[in-house]
Amino acid sequence: MTDSWHIDTALLSDYEEGTLSPSRVMAVEAHMLACAGCRTRVPVDYTWLTGNFSVIYDNVHAPRVGPLQRLLTRLGLPEHRLRLLTATPALRWSWLAATAAVLGLAVAVSWLDWSGAAAMSTVFLALAPILPVATVATAYGPSADPMREITGTTPAAGPALVLWRAVAVVGVAVVMAAVAGLLLPGPGWFAAAWLLPALLLCTGTLALATSLSLPVAAGTLGGLWLTGLYAVVRVVRDDVFVPLVFGPPAQFGYLAAAAAAAAVLTLRRRRFDLGESR
Amino acid sequence: MTTVTVDNLSKRYGSTVALDAVDLTIGVGVTGLLGPNGAGKSTLLRCLATALGPDAGSIRVHGFDPAVPAQRTEVRRRIGYLPQNPGLYPHFTAYDLLDYVAVLKEMTDTQRRRAEVRRVLDEVELTDRAKTKVRKLSGGMRQRLGLAQALLGDPELVILDEPTVGLDPEQRMSFRALISRIGERRTVLLSTHQTEDVGALCERVVVMSGGRVVFEGGPKELAGVAEGQVWLSESPPVRNTAYWRNADGLYRTVGPRPDGAEATRPSIEDGYLLLLGTAVATGAVR
Amino acid sequence: MPPASEQSSDAELLRAIAAGQTAALRLLHHRHAGWLRARLRRRCADPDVVDAAIQDTFVAVWKDAHRYEVTAADAAAWLWTIAVRRLLSALRGPAHRWLSGPAAELPDVATTPSAEELVLLGVEHGALGPALDRLSPELRHLIEATALDGLSVREAAKLLGIPEGTAKTRLMRARTRLRELLA
Repeated sequence: MTDSWHIDTALLSDYEEGTLSPSRVMAVEAHMLACAGCRTRVPVDYTWLTGNFSVIYDNVHAPRVGPLQRLLTRLGLPEHRLRLLTATPALRWSWLAATAAVLGLAVAVSWLDWSGAAAMSTVFLALAPILPVATVATAYGPSADPMREITGTTPAAGPALVLWRAVAVVGVAVVMAAVAGLLLPGPGWFAAAWLLPALLLCTGTLALATSLSLPVAAGTLGGLWLTGLYAVVRVVRDDVFVPLVFGPPAQFGYLAAAAAAAAVLTLRRRRFDLGESR
Repeated sequence: MTTVTVDNLSKRYGSTVALDAVDLTIGVGVTGLLGPNGAGKSTLLRCLATALGPDAGSIRVHGFDPAVPAQRTEVRRRIGYLPQNPGLYPHFTAYDLLDYVAVLKEMTDTQRRRAEVRRVLDEVELTDRAKTKVRKLSGGMRQRLGLAQALLGDPELVILDEPTVGLDPEQRMSFRALISRIGERRTVLLSTHQTEDVGALCERVVVMSGGRVVFEGGPKELAGVAEGQVWLSESPPVRNTAYWRNADGLYRTVGPRPDGAEATRPSIEDGYLLLLGTAVATGAVR
Repeated sequence: MPPASEQSSDAELLRAIAAGQTAALRLLHHRHAGWLRARLRRRCADPDVVDAAIQDTFVAVWKDAHRYEVTAADAAAWLWTIAVRRLLSALRGPAHRWLSGPAAELPDVATTPSAEELVLLGVEHGALGPALDRLSPELRHLIEATALDGLSVREAAKLLGIPEGTAKTRLMRARTRLRELLA
């Protein structure tokens, strides 16, 4: 039956213009469903076709947007920047697991051993600022990015990329350390007391990295911090130590120093270049 | 039109000379950089791609100087670069990887970026592998993905370091077709040690040896270097720079005429071998 | 799995799509998007809504290609049932966008095995054609939505913007009227 009758151009254009009687419309549609030949005879603009398919392709292949990403986008972070942050090479499960393990251990030990709890909390306060710095060192550099030859020769390579990557790793490390701090026994402000020292160490590391390599800069500042603390511990009594190093005057000092480091970083930002190795 | 000008470019690694006062101009079309391992091909390409700063000499890409930080970004906006070891993140899917590089290439508009990612995936015939992780791609597919990222944004200068490594003959064919198409409008500079690549798709050849440019010209001219110096004989020659036995059992020789040999038309490879032989003889090769 | 090509049948393409071949999805889309658009446009005046419905259809095909069974239905018919439902959910009810309707299987009226044969018979012999034309538009639209588009009475009601009960009554009236006209 379908062989005896086919849709010709005139009928098809009448169909598309809507000038056919209802029953003929039905006939055309029923026939089209049954006859592959007549289906292909429906004229279609190739530009429309590819355009229509491109949306399907994106839908099928574009990366899924997670709830966290949606939240950040809603907070005003552009999608492309988000792609950059989430693709930071250092942000791998191995890194996250290592950071979580270190923090988890500190918290666990301080809960288990009541007699040494206070000391353990002090150790946490001393070590927590180091953690983000250690992660900044992984923000760029040959060991951190296997694709550096490609990423380093793109127009985005430069200070902005280094900073965005640093922000990504530091952000995650800070959130994790903050959670650990809240789980610690002891006064509540402990959970936040390390934040400004961490900020100072991070900005300081980046500022120093405009003339030294990033791992060296991170090592230098981290070492200075620990040596300084050790010196203070040797000099003052235990109960004075925490207020002295983490009390309000000290915190203000950290903030001021961090601001100074940020200023240096801004002035010397051109020194950051991912690509060129001289 | 001149895209790239290289003037007196030098680079050393410790006591090793990688580039020795290289002068070069490159224009639109496909230029092949031919030379043995250690000839300085990669070093030159890395300098042009702004991955490496030279010790001396200057580079201009579309008039911009990569040694000046502000202009370096302008150079980077105009290049696509496939390094010898791209180090593509193994945990990324092909699509994500290209999307990421596209972001780094300042394509901030999501829709346009996705269209561009789709375009290059199509170009290298990896559309079906968009969702496959890099670590699960075959060597040839990875190489094509590396090429795709270099093509993102349709750069004016495409720098490809050993792009045909790991491709099977069929892929090599479609790769050549793609590169020729791009070379119609853009400047493509690729390194290889395969003379067939040069013969099949390069309009110009630059032969490097020991950090120096020893030849610059068309593939025919490169073959012409060996004009009157390629011979076929029925017995192996006694002394010569190179000889081998070809399919019809005759001995092919490049160099002075062996006894009883007949002259034959030189190939690109003959010219290349002769050039390298000369380079060795004059001490240009380390 | 052989790579999909222009020569592959719809069923082969759907199998390739189920195996994750985007090229097969593109081939299927390029093969069917044209007529789907023409037909959907008869039902919705807004080209953007139609384009989106087609896109939704093929995204659904990508996800559900493994559910397609060759024996169950012709691929074109299968695509149409997806497309018309996608259009329906895009429209969310308003009947004013619905222009004209399609034709019918009419199981009560005729015993012919398939819809297209029935309708073609009707057109050729001048029996069903005039009968359908003489049906009032509101009754005809119900026949079209339920029989040719393959929608349930509930979906048809939603599409035409009428209560489900009304749709049931009208459908029964339409069938009765057709029987009278064909008698």
